[in-house]
Amino acid sequence: MNRKRLRTVLSCAVLMLCVSGVAGAQVAKRGSDPEHKLNLTWDRWLDHTEVGERLKLMERTWPKFLKLQSLGKSYGQRDIWMMTVSNPSTGPEMSKAAMFIEANVHGNEIQGTEVSLYTIWYLMENYERIPTIRRLVDERVFYIVPTINPDGRDFFMHGTGSGARTGHVPVDSDGDGLFDEDGPDDLNGNGIIETIRKYVPGQGTHRISHQDKRILEPVAPGEKGDWIILGREGKDNDGDGLIDEDPPGGYDPNRNYGSDWQPNYVQGGSMDYPFQLPEARVTNDFWMSHPNIAGMQTYHNSGGMILRPPGSAWYGDYPAADIRAYDEIAEAGERMLPYYDYLVIWRGLYTVHGGSIDWMNDGLGILSYSNELWNGDQYFNSPLLQKQAADPNSPISGQKGDFFFDDFLEFGDEYQDWTPFDHPQYGKVELGGWKKLQGRVNPRFMSMELFHRNMAFTLHHADQMPHLAMGAATVQKVEGDVYRVRVDVTNDRVIPTIMEKAAASRTVRPDLLTIEGRNVGVIAAGLVPNKFQPGPLSMIDQKDLKRILVRNGVPGRTTRTIEYLVKGSGQVTIQYAAVKGGTVSTTVELK
Amino acid sequence: MKRLLALVFVAHAAAMHAQSAAYLDHGALTQELRRVVGSSPSAKLTSLGTTLGGRDIWVVEIGNPGGKPLAQRPGVLVVGNLEGDQLVGSSHALETIRYLLTNATSPAVKSVLDANVVYLLPRLNPDGAEVAFATVKADRRGNARPYDDDNDGRTDEDGPEDLNGDGLITVMRVKDPAGAYMIDPADPRTLKKADVAKGEVGTYKLYWEGVDSDGDGFINEDGPGGVDLNRNFQHDYPYFDADAGPHMVSERESRALMEFVLAHRNIAAILTFGQSDNLVTPPDAAGKLGAPTSLSLPAFADASNAAIFESGMLQPAIRGGGFGGGGFGGGFGGGFGGGTRLRGAQPGANNNPASGRRPDTTVHRADIEYFKAVSEAYKSATGIKALPPLRRARGTFFQFGYFQFGVPSFSTPGWSLSAAAAEAKPSGAGDAKPAPAGDARPAATGDAAILRALEGAGVNAFVPWTAYKHAQLGDVEIGGFRPSVTTNAAAKDLAALGRKHGEFVVKLASMLPRVRIASSEVKAHGGGLFTVTVDVENTGFFPSALQHGVVSGSVKPVVVQIQVPTESIVTGAPKAMRIASLNGSHSRQRISWVIRGKPGAAVVIALLAQKGGTDSATVTLK
Repeated sequence: MNRKRLRTVLSCAVLMLCVSGVAGAQVAKRGSDPEHKLNLTWDRWLDHTEVGERLKLMERTWPKFLKLQSLGKSYGQRDIWMMTVSNPSTGPEMSKAAMFIEANVHGNEIQGTEVSLYTIWYLMENYERIPTIRRLVDERVFYIVPTINPDGRDFFMHGTGSGARTGHVPVDSDGDGLFDEDGPDDLNGNGIIETIRKYVPGQGTHRISHQDKRILEPVAPGEKGDWIILGREGKDNDGDGLIDEDPPGGYDPNRNYGSDWQPNYVQGGSMDYPFQLPEARVTNDFWMSHPNIAGMQTYHNSGGMILRPPGSAWYGDYPAADIRAYDEIAEAGERMLPYYDYLVIWRGLYTVHGGSIDWMNDGLGILSYSNELWNGDQYFNSPLLQKQAADPNSPISGQKGDFFFDDFLEFGDEYQDWTPFDHPQYGKVELGGWKKLQGRVNPRFMSMELFHRNMAFTLHHADQMPHLAMGAATVQKVEGDVYRVRVDVTNDRVIPTIMEKAAASRTVRPDLLTIEGRNVGVIAAGLVPNKFQPGPLSMIDQKDLKRILVRNGVPGRTTRTIEYLVKGSGQVTIQYAAVKGGTVSTTVELK
Repeated sequence: MKRLLALVFVAHAAAMHAQSAAYLDHGALTQELRRVVGSSPSAKLTSLGTTLGGRDIWVVEIGNPGGKPLAQRPGVLVVGNLEGDQLVGSSHALETIRYLLTNATSPAVKSVLDANVVYLLPRLNPDGAEVAFATVKADRRGNARPYDDDNDGRTDEDGPEDLNGDGLITVMRVKDPAGAYMIDPADPRTLKKADVAKGEVGTYKLYWEGVDSDGDGFINEDGPGGVDLNRNFQHDYPYFDADAGPHMVSERESRALMEFVLAHRNIAAILTFGQSDNLVTPPDAAGKLGAPTSLSLPAFADASNAAIFESGMLQPAIRGGGFGGGGFGGGFGGGFGGGTRLRGAQPGANNNPASGRRPDTTVHRADIEYFKAVSEAYKSATGIKALPPLRRARGTFFQFGYFQFGVPSFSTPGWSLSAAAAEAKPSGAGDAKPAPAGDARPAATGDAAILRALEGAGVNAFVPWTAYKHAQLGDVEIGGFRPSVTTNAAAKDLAALGRKHGEFVVKLASMLPRVRIASSEVKAHGGGLFTVTVDVENTGFFPSALQHGVVSGSVKPVVVQIQVPTESIVTGAPKAMRIASLNGSHSRQRISWVIRGKPGAAVVIALLAQKGGTDSATVTLK
């Protein structure tokens, strides 16, 4: 679908809203499937302007639940949009555990942006209809940043796609005092940065495959091929004798966060200090001022992975209790996301220092995953085809499979055949190869499933954020005006109110257990190890028993029974307040 | 705030020669910086921004006009008073400015101001420094950022109180059979930890002077402020320590300094004043810094609050009874026991836990000699050999300077603990030295030794213990080291010490790399072919990049570029020749290009040395 057509659909949707708004009537129902309030399509990749338009349209459509704000500007002065999804009728944002979703920190890893948009849309479209969705929106808050690197996104979307992983703060990659002065060039002006190959009969490193002339394959050691590869399309722009040695940006925006940050010689692309990049900085300012955030997902591509921190081995793994929570949620994810594996970053991918989810877990005590969207195995996604693809003689094995898929399912849309070119430095060469969307970005027609399954996993993650309930308090008279008061505090979800690592490093405010009542004093307080089995309490060794600090929170799927010995009369109110999981309380009469 | 210590100056031209006789608060320091810099054509005073307390972070840039633009000259950066209570650094930086400007015509200073640039930030932490000028004085390193030190959901709610009304925050000792400390016989005013293995019995508890303001059972566990700026930088950052801030470079002040440094890549050496040292004791043969030393009384008082983080770790069962929550295993593999197999750690693409580059934590072998040479220069310029208490350098700015910025980078407390201290080592150094001849007192270590040294130098260093009726603790005694005395030089020494540090800064600047094109020649081969040869020379002392600067990639290579089209180069060096590092002391490197050109044409060769200046030469093809 082209852009003009989409615009038409959008304006129809807006028009319908206006009409129904004026008439105050429901949209007439056609057919049997539920009508959408907003008929959006999901088979086009949007640039940053279109992302903003879509966000504004959704905010206008569901003003009660959606609030759009700009966290700040990127280096290139683009807004970093964030949508808050929250039901104000069920309490203020800070009283509810929040899920933070972001995407596209690497400019070329685009499809997470659409997953984020789809998530907002799906939650709103189905709020009235699906009770679980309604409960999620009522219980939780969602902070959704569809693209954290809008400069990189637009560079990918509007440009040739080459070197788009980075952000766009200029960096002097070659140390000549000039910034970003020699990047790739679209020499033949076809809008694509291609690979350069040169015909060097009998002296090359590659040869053309006899199975498909489009495939350039490396020759075996000791043999000579007819072709050499001379890198990406480009020339010497600054006349220093080097080609493409100082491209735009030239760093990794996902190495600029504050946990296990390492200098460039240890972690390439980390910049000079954490949160130096405006995009990381404004996001972190938001995180640090929103301790209610209890879950985080950052969408990347590709490979089909549910990644958890830590990013490096020598930083140490997490306490067992934390890993257990990670495991339980991600193992459900593996069943929801075929072709996705749950892995620790450094084990399953590669070592990452200063990545965002390490900072979320270690610096802010937030259970965080990074989904690597799209797995190449999904091109041939049935057991039968997988078996075929594993046979080297099959037409869908290895590189042949890529061409087969492109020829038969995308009608050749993703490939640029080799064409001759007269290069200023290399002489007669050929340019050609895959276009920017092939490989890491899923084919458009497969987007719906990818968006929905990943959203579903992230909603499951959000559902497992801590959620507190308090049972009714029981009062038992001991002697005179001394009473034994017991109350249960339950966290019925998988994630603890305070992760064990966060408790040890004190990155989350402790939970506060308070008791209030006129003329009431606390003699002692403790935890009841097992309320069905008599035995000594685990005493709470704190001086101020009216305001008890629970530094290790309530673990996942746990009920803690608290017992007070109090002296006094009248009503007492017991309150348990967690920054991640909410505040619960109960009031009881001493009698 | 009252400027109790502001100086009165005579208002005439010669006032520029006036020298520090007292520590200056922010207002007085600002006034003095304005006055000293005045209308000098060689100096400029600017603000890098303001602190939370609204105070300017001043930087003074000094270099003679004319010649190369300042940004292209090898520079020295001087930073003082990162720790709020380290006032002596601000005074030395101020005196260095005064020294440079009043001696601008002396040959050594002129040479530096002509060829180099000196950047001075006398006081990075003006909010923290201001505490030292308050009516009640306390040692406080942090800035003014409100910080929940004890993580109890309340910020800055339990700071010190001057109970005995002497205007000083000291410590309290309480006789208590459960105490861990005993009187140190070497000086009965000081205490030491009882060694139970030797049968010693503790009889005292120690606290900071104050009350338990928030009723949590701890005294002064969350005072006003703040983040210690010299624990907020990127090298060996002490994660999760309350005084290190929420993350590296989290503070306005540290960020302002960082942005300044990154915008001035010509900075080729760094000198900081702070509570660490690598100038009196340079890195050893393994590249390690000297061991820290610390005062015991404040450390004992701090320890009284050590249990605060344990008390909130509620155990679901009786302690020691099986399912205690202590599953946090720390390192890799922690907590992998138990019934359930934990996921996520299965083999994958990059599964060697030992793989990957780690950050260097010791000075590169090839760089140690340069640190030693600077140390010698420092000791000879200042005469300082014995140092006041030091702490382990973690997250310090000077360590960033070497390990990440890649330049020679130094820290010194900036004053000497007097000759007497040389006789008695501070705590941590176990072996007690006998007292000087004629001194009948017993040998001293630790606090006793430091006290002896300070008093030997005539410093009123200790508040005698006096009885006090404490609302929560009952009978206590209040006393201990006076604030500031173990951190700062006596005010009377400031002028002389400051001048010596000014001389040292000139010496340090004179050691910076100075890279130039020493000679050039052209040889004609006929047919429009020429060989162009240049000799590049570093006339400074330091190499154009320390070895760690090369290894870490933080110092760019010297680039020597022949400015002809790439196609004209027939053979020889690349158009832009890169030299990773060129040694100092007149080391040379020869570079040749064979080029095609028009006879009689002029060819420019341009040199860019990030830490060693710029140069160019023009040759005529003939």
